[in-house]
Amino acid sequence: MKDTLRWAYALNQWNFRLDVFVRHSDQLRALKTLSACGFDHVELPAGTGRWDNLARPEVILLNHGDHAGFLDFLRRGSVRGVSSVYWDPGQPVEEEGWAFRSTANRHDHDAIVESAKPFVEFCAGVGAEQLVVRPVGSAWMSPPPDAHGLRTVGELWNRVGELAAAVGVGLALHYDCLGAVHTEAELVGLLEATDPALVGLALDTAEFTIGGIDPVAFYQRHAGRVTHVHLKDTRYADTGQEYRMPGAETTMLRGGAGRRIERWFFELGTEGGLVDVKAFVAALRSRAYPGWVVVESDHGGNPAELAMLNSWYLQYELSVAKS
Amino acid sequence: MAWSKWSYMDHWVTETPQGPQPPSFNRAHMDRYVKQLSALGFRGFDTFFFYLPMLAGMYGSVPAFERFLQDNGFDKITGIFSAYPYATRYTAPHVRETHDRIFADCEATVRAVDGLSVENFIVMPSTTYFQVEPVTEEKIKVMADLWNRVGRMTLEHGMKTTCHFEFWGAIRTREQLDLFFSHTDPELVFFFCDTAQHTIAGVDPVQMFRDYRDRCTGFHFKDTHTVDEHEAYRTPPDPELMAPEVTRWFYEMGTDGGLVDFPALMREIVASGYDGWLTVEHDKAELGGGSYAEATCVAKWYIDNVLAEVSR
Repeated sequence: MKDTLRWAYALNQWNFRLDVFVRHSDQLRALKTLSACGFDHVELPAGTGRWDNLARPEVILLNHGDHAGFLDFLRRGSVRGVSSVYWDPGQPVEEEGWAFRSTANRHDHDAIVESAKPFVEFCAGVGAEQLVVRPVGSAWMSPPPDAHGLRTVGELWNRVGELAAAVGVGLALHYDCLGAVHTEAELVGLLEATDPALVGLALDTAEFTIGGIDPVAFYQRHAGRVTHVHLKDTRYADTGQEYRMPGAETTMLRGGAGRRIERWFFELGTEGGLVDVKAFVAALRSRAYPGWVVVESDHGGNPAELAMLNSWYLQYELSVAKS
Repeated sequence: MAWSKWSYMDHWVTETPQGPQPPSFNRAHMDRYVKQLSALGFRGFDTFFFYLPMLAGMYGSVPAFERFLQDNGFDKITGIFSAYPYATRYTAPHVRETHDRIFADCEATVRAVDGLSVENFIVMPSTTYFQVEPVTEEKIKVMADLWNRVGRMTLEHGMKTTCHFEFWGAIRTREQLDLFFSHTDPELVFFFCDTAQHTIAGVDPVQMFRDYRDRCTGFHFKDTHTVDEHEAYRTPPDPELMAPEVTRWFYEMGTDGGLVDFPALMREIVASGYDGWLTVEHDKAELGGGSYAEATCVAKWYIDNVLAEVSR
């Protein structure tokens, strides 16, 4: 995509189960799909184990030798680079002995900072600008953080931000609709608990909308803190505090309970979409937003079909030249 | 400058609330399908004759569907595919008594797109091999007579009748192809080069294009991994999906094991001065768990990154 904004695409949708997106030939087909749709940078998800060879830094390097080897692999699919890497330190991984850690627990901070290092080093090695992180765990597992709790979380991310900044990588906290930091006030509180020079915000338009925060208005008020964007749509807002349901990852986001909405995330231009995508992108343009805009399908259907539809929206509704 | 006249032949299957279906499932799915192809940069749209009534119903008329295509970056409907793959007592191109019926069918199809600038009326000139064998010169001549007649009629409507040969059809070997063309009028009957079908039948599509350049009005760019070495083409009732030795014949461009030399063909096309459409076709891409969307993207990547270099 050739534009004043920099566009990338998130690869997370292809890897829907640990053993389905492992062969390099399958991965190359996904990269070629994105290239044919006009995207030449990708965001990688974090993962764990030998099969997450597009996700876990050590495993990526085991597959491709070194950072240059990995970039060569991407370029075989005409993808030029990595915009960013997404990582949730609360997600237990094999490489950390399946340890369950919480950013709200100060006793876990040293371990989390240590576990951030492979990601920071990988981002620096492949030229990814942002390490995008889940700042807090799910709301149903913990009470809303008070000011003290926000300061505790903020201290952790300042440390990781410092680590990342030392090698030229940005750190962006990704708000999601299930997180313990849920309201706009809580989110602003978290940002205020962090050093703007070290920690930015990853604004995900669908997650914000589901969580009841207007992404356009928020961006207008806090543009200086937004260093990363995930662009996707939703047809629903969480109007009944469904994010507090036990196991909200499945009870809410997969329709296991509550209103039984089985799909929350949609492609740009979806009928009934709640995100004012055009207004949001116009706001990014008006402030000369310098970061990556990562389009994300996020498990909404056939990955290639959704990439094509997102590409169509960029070209025909946002007037982004494909090449 | 890279080749820009790429069209897409409509075989797509997508996921719907009622399971996998063609995009004609409903208007919303059809709209999405057109947008998906548009996003990749296809400018021409080929479809089957039997979809025309559906498109007219869904969009108000076939011209209205074409306007929707144009709103999404397409130039137009480029080709209509018509076929009688299975011989019946009503329709069998090698049986002269069925020609009036086939001619009338073709005329009705052509009239359905009157007023548009569809270029190709693409036909399978024969039915399945096993229903025609022994294939004799006389039978080939009967088929040629039919398509001469249809060709004259379609030209009056601004469309060229162009023959698309299947590996399992009655006209499949190089000798049969040459014989068929020798009995058809070069002013009335044209050649449509399906790269995979010819390759499976043991015919070199590049050489076919070289030899019939003056009569070639289109291509299906698709690949295969297998030459038919077991006379699968004779398998009744259908060699495409029921041949015991081969479960999948067709692949998109750019897969490992592909037998078609697309760069060589592209060089030949460019050197020849051909200025028609090049059509991407994915036939049965869902076999083995594939998806039409991904197959189409991979093929378009191949066009943009491999063939574009050849055609500059």
